[in-house]
Amino acid sequence: MTDVAPLTVAVVDDDEAVRTALRRLLRSMGHNVHVFASAEEYEDRPIPADCLIVDLRLPGLNGFELRERLRLRGASIPIVFITGDGGPSPGDTADHPDTPSLAKPFNDGDLIAAISRAMSASPGVQ
Amino acid sequence: MTERVPAATNRQLAVRLAVSRALGRARDLDDVYSAALNTLAECLEVSRASVLLFDPDGVMRFRAYRGLSSEYRAEVQGHSPWTPDSVDAEPLLVPDVTCDPSLERYWPVFAQERIAALAFIPLVSLGRVIGKFMLYYDAQHAFDDEEVQLATVIAGAVAFAVERGRTEGVARGSDASPGFEPDAAIGAWEWEVSGEVDPDGRLSGLPSKSLRQVRQCNVMSSRDCLKILDLDGRLIYINDAGLEGLGVDDARELLHRPWVDLWEEKEREPLREVIARARAGAIGKFQAPCRTPAGIMKWWDIVIMPIVGADGAIVQLLAVSRDVSAPWRAESFQAGQHQVLEMIATGAPLHQVLTLLAHIVEDQCEGMICSVLLLDADGVHVRMGAAPSLPDDYSRRIDGQPLGPRVGSCGTAMQLGRSVIVTDIARDPRWEILRDAATAIGLRACWSAPILSSSSPKKVLGSFAMYCASSRGPSCEELRLVETAADLAGAAIDHHRSQEALRQSEVRNRAILRAIPDWMFVLSSDGVYLDYHVNVADHLLVPPEAFLGKSIHEVLPPWLAEKFTRAFERALATNEPERLEYSLESRHEPRFYEACVVRSNGDKLLSIVRDITDRKRAELDAAAQREELAHVNRVLILNEQSGALAHELSQPLAAILSNAQAARRMLDRSPLDLDELRETLDDVIKSDKRAGAVIHRLRELLRKNKADLQPLDLNEVTREVIDLTRSDLLLRRMPVKTALSPGIPPVLGDRVQLQQVILNLVLNACEAMSTVEPAERELMLTTVADDKCVQITIADRGIGIPPGELDSVFDPFVTHRTQGLGLGLAISRSIVLAHRGRIHAENNADRGATFRCFLPLADVQVSTAARDSVVTTLAPG
Repeated sequence: MTDVAPLTVAVVDDDEAVRTALRRLLRSMGHNVHVFASAEEYEDRPIPADCLIVDLRLPGLNGFELRERLRLRGASIPIVFITGDGGPSPGDTADHPDTPSLAKPFNDGDLIAAISRAMSASPGVQ
Repeated sequence: MTERVPAATNRQLAVRLAVSRALGRARDLDDVYSAALNTLAECLEVSRASVLLFDPDGVMRFRAYRGLSSEYRAEVQGHSPWTPDSVDAEPLLVPDVTCDPSLERYWPVFAQERIAALAFIPLVSLGRVIGKFMLYYDAQHAFDDEEVQLATVIAGAVAFAVERGRTEGVARGSDASPGFEPDAAIGAWEWEVSGEVDPDGRLSGLPSKSLRQVRQCNVMSSRDCLKILDLDGRLIYINDAGLEGLGVDDARELLHRPWVDLWEEKEREPLREVIARARAGAIGKFQAPCRTPAGIMKWWDIVIMPIVGADGAIVQLLAVSRDVSAPWRAESFQAGQHQVLEMIATGAPLHQVLTLLAHIVEDQCEGMICSVLLLDADGVHVRMGAAPSLPDDYSRRIDGQPLGPRVGSCGTAMQLGRSVIVTDIARDPRWEILRDAATAIGLRACWSAPILSSSSPKKVLGSFAMYCASSRGPSCEELRLVETAADLAGAAIDHHRSQEALRQSEVRNRAILRAIPDWMFVLSSDGVYLDYHVNVADHLLVPPEAFLGKSIHEVLPPWLAEKFTRAFERALATNEPERLEYSLESRHEPRFYEACVVRSNGDKLLSIVRDITDRKRAELDAAAQREELAHVNRVLILNEQSGALAHELSQPLAAILSNAQAARRMLDRSPLDLDELRETLDDVIKSDKRAGAVIHRLRELLRKNKADLQPLDLNEVTREVIDLTRSDLLLRRMPVKTALSPGIPPVLGDRVQLQQVILNLVLNACEAMSTVEPAERELMLTTVADDKCVQITIADRGIGIPPGELDSVFDPFVTHRTQGLGLGLAISRSIVLAHRGRIHAENNADRGATFRCFLPLADVQVSTAARDSVVTTLAPG
């Protein structure tokens, strides 16, 4: 399996089972993982991360809103959306072509690919 | 029901018969008193009683008593609430002697005699008190109306008997010898008749001794009729008293005719035998009624003996006849009264009873005619009850007359409720209207007594009248007869009317029974079929002989017999009707029945069974339709909720996949961290179960399931709904708060259906709040319970319900939502109603609406046996 170099990844998902599983998966790939239960929690104590994996449907701020706020503040962290109900609407995707999104459940390979794509699209990484 | 009235009159009739029987056996006044005490003891269950009468000097004295000490009698002797002049005396009841200050001076003697309660029952004759009954009780005694009525009935009969006994006693007392024993008196003489009897029946040429003896005998039996017959039985002599008694002025009318010819046909043969016996030398006795040549019926006691000539041969016969009509009448009246009572008791037609009564009274008073008039139920018109001796024309003339002061004595008597004596019909203004009709048939005087009902208040039922062919007033005896006859007629009419009322109510009941399709079964308390009623016998599942006399356990399937047994137990224990529903196979199709079991006639049970198949089918159709709609509603909800549901499912699936892939990677590492692997696999299992639960719930919602009633914790049901909709509510920014009372009792319900109700109400609330700022939104779910039901409240802070639509909000297709058909609330209501609950909506004071749903507690439902019907309402088959 062609894993990328070890990264620091932040995961925001309100579902504990999903959060734990993602942390376990990413760690098994050799990455450092920080998990957050909500957008607000992430914003309260942001950690420098190479990539942010965000569930679109969150209590409080949702995934889109978190990205907007980060963008507005000038943060250019690469973002991967994950979604449990068929992914973001087509309009949203069109607006943000640089943000890949994954429909749950997704394969580990797809996750790595999405992270890579996000990081390559992100101006900060370039 | 209507049985009460006949029971009362039957009881009264029984008492009348008992007293009449007892008095009928009375030979003298002492017998009358003891008959009175016996009847009181028998009919009123009074162990201590006494009879007191006014002396000629107006002092009340004990005549008979039972259970009283001599000290007591001496102490109270002479006490009377009434004087001989008292009129309209009513019974005086003293339920507790110590509460009656007027009896204070007797308190010590009452205490000594252990008398706690008393009754004074006046003996009234012709309106005046002649004496009283006293009833004594050991304990305080609450008198009831019936008791007093019965005592009054006995008092009436006894007063009559006492008065008669006194009159008769006086007549007997005047006799030199107490009994009529002419054989003893006369037989001692030797008869020597050698003279001739002249053609005028005078004795002539008789030896002075013989004549003297005959005269002596004549004087001695001055009131007797003495006759001498020749050996052929021809009358050759009759004394003056005899002529007087027969009402004949001239002896020649009778002489030289065979004596037997004066008698009615049926009496002649026995009389001839008696004469033959006398001719053979023996003394013959004979008793028979015979009309006098004037047409008056008299009862005769006759002794015939031979008159022996000087040569010792029998030459003539001496017949001594005594008029014994008075005692005979008293006896025959007593017997007649008894016969009337028996006729009443055996349910003879009223007309026959009254006719007999009229005849009996007519037999008591020579030349009198009696009539019984009845007052119509309208209280105005008069009907002819019976008047066997009045010409039909006259009866027809009276029939249908309205009451009035000028419509004869009877009209007035009925109007006033009092006896009316008209001594001269030809002149009395009260006879203005009927005068000509009455005088034309020779009626000259009329004495009427009203016939009153025995029930209180007394009602005028009619009148009893005695007509006389001469202008005169009645003797006391005659007046007593009229009043006694009126009393008897009252008993007859009362009984007849109550029987009629009973019959009519039976006819009515039968008509009702015929009209209602229900089956009725009478069962013993241990469930044996005793009787049944069905409208159409064919509809019975089994023929009557297959269940009558058998136990329900032999007749019904075990489960149904068990069900009935429980219902019987409850019905017997509570005296309340118990309902149950069941279905049975009949002619290869299931039919539904509803039974209502009630206690009846003491410990018997009445089971009223109705075939409710048609209603049940309609209900089941409605239930099926409701379930169909509910299913559509659920599908619609799922459709609306597909995003949320997909999310619910993809979360655990995502966790499973990620965990599994992480585990595979862990396997590639060395050394293996087995703890971590185990933890990962545990998480896989956990998430898989979570996904499975979602799918299970989805399947439940989508299945067209039959209702499955279980005791449910409504808090749990509410939490499941919130779990199911959590992500949707999250996404839609609908903050949910709950205030679920811990430990609420279970309700009986179908889990999915109640989830659906809550879900509908939650979605409805969300829709109402969709246009409201997220910060202003609040969805509040509350549960509370009281001793009857659990209430779940879903309150929102949305746009509320337009005021005019509060009532229609549960109607189908009424919606303010942008999505859905508007079936959610309608279906919710129908589900709640099927659970025997209720639901209503109200607007909050500040903002938004609140829906309240009440569901009965499981144990309340079970105890009212509603469970069965809920099950059948919800679940076909």
